[in-house]
Amino acid sequence: MIEFQDVSKIYPNGTQALNRVNLRVEDGEFVFIVGASGAGKSTFLKLITCEERPTEGEIIVGEQKLSELRRGEVPYLRRMMGMVFQDFRLINKMTVYENVAFAMHVVGASSREIRRRVPYILGLVNLQDKARCHPRELSGGEQQRVGLARALVNNPKLLIADEPTGNVDPALSFEIVDLLSEINKRGTTVLMVTHEHSLVKKFRRRVVEIRSGSVVADSCTWEVAR
Amino acid sequence: MIRSFRYLLKEGVRNIWSNRTMSLASVGVLISCLLLTGAAVLFSMNINAAMKAIEGTNSVKVYMKEGLPVLSAVKVGAEIKKLDNIASCKFIPKDDALERVMGMLGEKDAALLNGMTGKDNPLPDAYQVSFRDLSKYKATVAKIQQIDGVGSVNDYSDIAAKLTKLDRIVTTGGFWIILLLSLVSLFIISNTIRVTMFSRRLEINIMKSVGATNWFVRVPFIVEGVAIGLISGAVSSGILHLLYSQLTRTLTSIVRFSPIEIGAVSGRLTAAFLLAGCLFGALGGMISIGKYLKKEGGDIVDW
Repeated sequence: MIEFQDVSKIYPNGTQALNRVNLRVEDGEFVFIVGASGAGKSTFLKLITCEERPTEGEIIVGEQKLSELRRGEVPYLRRMMGMVFQDFRLINKMTVYENVAFAMHVVGASSREIRRRVPYILGLVNLQDKARCHPRELSGGEQQRVGLARALVNNPKLLIADEPTGNVDPALSFEIVDLLSEINKRGTTVLMVTHEHSLVKKFRRRVVEIRSGSVVADSCTWEVAR
Repeated sequence: MIRSFRYLLKEGVRNIWSNRTMSLASVGVLISCLLLTGAAVLFSMNINAAMKAIEGTNSVKVYMKEGLPVLSAVKVGAEIKKLDNIASCKFIPKDDALERVMGMLGEKDAALLNGMTGKDNPLPDAYQVSFRDLSKYKATVAKIQQIDGVGSVNDYSDIAAKLTKLDRIVTTGGFWIILLLSLVSLFIISNTIRVTMFSRRLEINIMKSVGATNWFVRVPFIVEGVAIGLISGAVSSGILHLLYSQLTRTLTSIVRFSPIEIGAVSGRLTAAFLLAGCLFGALGGMISIGKYLKKEGGDIVDW
């Protein structure tokens, strides 16, 4: 699904964000990306979503070499990804239903498709009863589930979650990761950036640790990664 | 594609409503700009029409000296006809001239001239002379003036020159004023749209993260600009219509002149206003969103 081949990224101000990173994530994997602030995690995600281009090396997402991807083709690459953000990024003036439907409008889905798909996805994240609520009327956990529903509604092959549990109660964090695991079981590759050791320990998935721009550990359990 | 466009169209119109104060300011400025442009164009068209009317007559009036006997006037006519550039030379007796003046004044005022008929007629006999070649206008007029018995020649070339000068001033001045106002309008429209854009940053951000193309992001802002332009075009066309009709009605009751009929140009004028409004609006929208996507587009997902 994702392959980094000797990827380095140096920003114009001279900051080396990533240094010769080699990494391969297979289809259907669930990977935790861990590391301190400034370690290079954000750059790692930006390179996958083509928000930044590597200074050196090659990145392959799906079967697409990103170096060969033109600027105008980036949106189509992003349509195979779903993104979940720490701060939810929901539009407060829209209802839960509209927030999810909005992502479908962007890719040109028909009203019929939207009417069919959105309730299904809301059911998947257990929010079918909150479709008419506005984000402010929801708890942090529920808001993140709306974010998740929006990320999933276009049926992405890859789900990128950037600290999705960062703004929710610890008790609800497990619920979110449970949901991500459930989605992963259905075949979606999941990349989740997190700081929460407890999650990594509990879910025992592949862990990639980035430190000072390099992958310093890559293993199947948090204990080995340490 | 069509369903996306319908959605984007709705979004654009929604933008105008949610940002109505700034939209209203844009409409106001654009209306001022279009009104001034329209006024300058109508003024120029009127001057051109007046000049064409003068050129179209291609003739001058040659007045005889006061008290010149009719027989001498006939001789003057013969002298005029002998000149090179004369196409026609028609005698206008002073009685006919008085009758024409009385006709122009209307029944009530014409009664004042009732005592001036016959010998008391103060108007001189005249010839209506038309020329073959307008480039020899001045030389021919000079030759006519040299003929003994000619009092004065009603020379329109001066008026034409003055009108040309006035037209040039209005055109040049109008051009600069319109240019300035156009830039101001563009600035205000693009800023109005920029305000909408900043208030919708989160939406743009989400759009980009789920794979919206730059065109998908752009269209609602262009629609907003075009709608502002169309509203301004329609309103300013209506205002200009009313103002022009009122102004020409007032002016024609004071001064004798025949302005161009607004009805004759209203179709073209309205179309031009709507088109100009559309172009300005679309351009304003494209400038602001283009700048935004270029400057901040790279950071749009913003991890």
